[in-house]
Amino acid sequence: MPQIGSYALLLALALSGYSFVAGLIALLHDGSERLGETARRAGIATFAAVVLAAVVLVTAAFSDDFSIAYIFHHSNRDLPAPYKFATLWSGQEGSLLFWSLLLASYGLVLRLRHKTDSRLFAHASVIIAAVQVFFLLLLNFAAHPFAIMQGSLPSDGNGLNPLLQYPEMVIHPPMLYLGYVGFTVPFAFALGALIMRYPGEKWIHITRRWTMVTWGFLTCGVFLGAHWAYSVLGWGGYWGWDPVENASLMPWLTGTAFLHSVMMQEKRGMLKVWNMWLIFATFLLSIFGTFLTRSGVVSSVHAFAQSSIGDWFVAFLALTFVVCLVSFIKNRSHLSSEHKLESLVSRESSFLFNNLLLLVACFTVLWGTLFPVLSEWVQGTKVTVGAPFFNRVNVPVALLLLLLTAVGPLLAWRKTSLESLKRNFLWPAIGSLATVVLLIALGLRPWKDSSYLYSLMTIALSVLVALTVISEFIRGGRVISRHTRQNLFASMVHLAHRNTRRYGGYIVHFGVIVIMIGFAGAAFNQDKEQEMGYGDRMALGGYTLVCRSYTQEYKPNYASEWAIIDVFKGGRQIDTLYPERRFYNASQQTSTIVANRSTFKEDLYLVYEGLNQETGRPIIKVHLNPLVMWIWVGVWIMICGTVIALIPNAVPVRVPAPVRVQAAPVGAGD
Amino acid sequence: MILFICALFTVAVLFYVFYMPGELLIAPEKTRVAYLRERKDVVYENLRDLNFEYKAGKLPEVDYQSMKASLEEEAASVLAEISRLERITASSPPAERKGMRV
Amino acid sequence: MPRYFLKRVLHLTLLVSLVFILLGTDQDARFQSLGHKVKCICGGCNQVLLECNHVGCTYSSHMRAELAASVDRGESDDLTLQAFVQKYGPTVLIAPTATGFNRVAWVMPYLVLVLGLATVVIVVRTWKMRPAPVPAGALPRVSGTQLEHFREQAQKETET
Repeated sequence: MPQIGSYALLLALALSGYSFVAGLIALLHDGSERLGETARRAGIATFAAVVLAAVVLVTAAFSDDFSIAYIFHHSNRDLPAPYKFATLWSGQEGSLLFWSLLLASYGLVLRLRHKTDSRLFAHASVIIAAVQVFFLLLLNFAAHPFAIMQGSLPSDGNGLNPLLQYPEMVIHPPMLYLGYVGFTVPFAFALGALIMRYPGEKWIHITRRWTMVTWGFLTCGVFLGAHWAYSVLGWGGYWGWDPVENASLMPWLTGTAFLHSVMMQEKRGMLKVWNMWLIFATFLLSIFGTFLTRSGVVSSVHAFAQSSIGDWFVAFLALTFVVCLVSFIKNRSHLSSEHKLESLVSRESSFLFNNLLLLVACFTVLWGTLFPVLSEWVQGTKVTVGAPFFNRVNVPVALLLLLLTAVGPLLAWRKTSLESLKRNFLWPAIGSLATVVLLIALGLRPWKDSSYLYSLMTIALSVLVALTVISEFIRGGRVISRHTRQNLFASMVHLAHRNTRRYGGYIVHFGVIVIMIGFAGAAFNQDKEQEMGYGDRMALGGYTLVCRSYTQEYKPNYASEWAIIDVFKGGRQIDTLYPERRFYNASQQTSTIVANRSTFKEDLYLVYEGLNQETGRPIIKVHLNPLVMWIWVGVWIMICGTVIALIPNAVPVRVPAPVRVQAAPVGAGD
Repeated sequence: MILFICALFTVAVLFYVFYMPGELLIAPEKTRVAYLRERKDVVYENLRDLNFEYKAGKLPEVDYQSMKASLEEEAASVLAEISRLERITASSPPAERKGMRV
Repeated sequence: MPRYFLKRVLHLTLLVSLVFILLGTDQDARFQSLGHKVKCICGGCNQVLLECNHVGCTYSSHMRAELAASVDRGESDDLTLQAFVQKYGPTVLIAPTATGFNRVAWVMPYLVLVLGLATVVIVVRTWKMRPAPVPAGALPRVSGTQLEHFREQAQKETET
């Protein structure tokens, strides 16, 4: 079997190589449609070959074929079936194969839809083939997933890292990868459009949809990772500014910036150069993120084993950058702006500031991630750049962004009078101030600690955003209801349907502020640790925990210890929780199963820390984390908003009756 | 067995990639009129947006009128160009439709 | 005057206990603030020492005890942090210090923000000033009745 996998990988390399070379020749020479068509089909065939390789690897995992080194290192006989499937992306080689598979899938969709705009899609297809060639070269020559074990055949594998044996781990990596890999598509379109000097802005319309899909996946991936960290690692937090987390955040930030500034180009023909470079940067950052994770340049919990493939990535990054730069210099005259900015108080300038802040945040993350490397290089000692650094710099930036999120929607394109801005801003501002007063009355003391101040500001600004979003819906709904005589709610639905991107976007904003409120809760986290024998009690923030019992259990895959804790509040039992700790046989590693009682107000988060060797009683750590559930709810809202934004508008732009037209060439450079 | 599977797969793939009987169905190249229509759609959308934002009370009358006038002028020039090109095409036979490069 | 004496004793006890409470909270505050300036060296988790809760961490309790002892001895903040650096190396500090090259770490993000802000403002101003750009392949201007005709068409087609 492994031979079939190896062969499929070689064949895939040959096919994508052909797709690239033949496609390139076809684009350079007029009248070679057949060649171009074979290139497109070779791209589609690459997908088949990569799928074959992936199927072989997954089959090997299911049939416990430990003659393949990769399966030996990442699986074992007693591993539950879903995790055997997840073996495909739980190690270096497999995840590169998975990356390649996803790229091939995106490529497949793109190549099948080539009739939308054949020439543009042919360009994009060639660029995707080039990226695919890189990953297949890696798979064939640097990180071969089908390498055979040397020596005698082992009877059982090393098993999957227990931290990864969690249901979310089966979907988190695919989501994240779909996000990472997906940015290849906008990149391919952008570079293609630049090289062919695409007339008009239609290409960006096509690209924007792909970017939104990709961005949606990346958002899911990032937050699934946060949720996984929260529910599995047992440290009571969800974000640690780890290099790998940062790696996923950076393309997310530039992607978000692009989704905003792209509107300037679509509607007003402005910022063409900037958008081009934003897409380039997003793609380069997603490759760079992969490089960070896999090269061992920075130390991280998530990092894959150190290996030499880092050099490959550096070379690829450099080459991509050069290609981007050269294409840009050659074609930059094509990217001149069509309109001018008319006022500082306009939607346009709010997008400029939005982009600036997102990029500063991205830069901070990049800078903080790489500073240890830089420091070692300059002053010879490594330093740590931990959470306090990122929080101190990025929290103010995030607050400014929130403010902009509140103001931006109130600004009209081109020009807004301060009068109308004041009028529309009045009620949200009053509501926000009322929230501040209310929170202080309820006992929040922002002058005591900077984290309290920040969380108060976050909540106040979030309320401001929420109110402006709501007022936008109401104001728009009123216009519609005046016109159609529907009730206000129906009008708002109608409104959202007429301009799904804008109102879907507002819903995404709404999700963001719900998440922000969840983050603000972290300033009030509490925790406590205690040994809990039979009947022992512990009190924290209004809850009383009583240990009913504790026990041990043996399962084929692992041994576990757990406690049964009754939760009381106000003298009444409200729940029973089962914090657990497992010891996995194959990997000889322990992991915790957190018991979490989650409500909108707060999470009661119990961790089984271990047995006290002297007394034989379990040590239980309790975290009381306010508002965490808001984060997960906010993510769902964001996803809904993204989906709404992807729905085509209800009122289609009237298409004139098709007229036969002579194929007059498009005027050069427009 | 393995050899057979590999060979079969290869043959199937090569057949798919290179076997193209008959004429290729090729989409016509994007014309200037198509491009202008896209542009018209954008300007129209901007105009609709402007109307809407005015009705929603984000713009004072003066700004609205001036912006509307400039957008309408832009729309008018696009429409004029489209109709000019269409008139030219209508007078010449539509023979060029097929066979354009993809 | 036993009553008067009793009152004084009471006052004094109150005062002393108050001082102790204040001192106690001061020490606690110092422990908290220092504990947030160093990280747990348990390898890879990159957590602030007082927030390192990861399961089975064998270092954090040990390091916390060391920190508490140092604070109890009344050693200054600098001295305590120095001792940690001596023992665990410079990576034990969770964020770059504000000295030497490390200052660059803190300055850069703000510098980029300020420069970026300046650039945006300049860009906005120059864009406002410059004449309306004429894109390549611009359309011929229309005028007269033709303009009115098409303008009316556009108006009609975009009415909501």
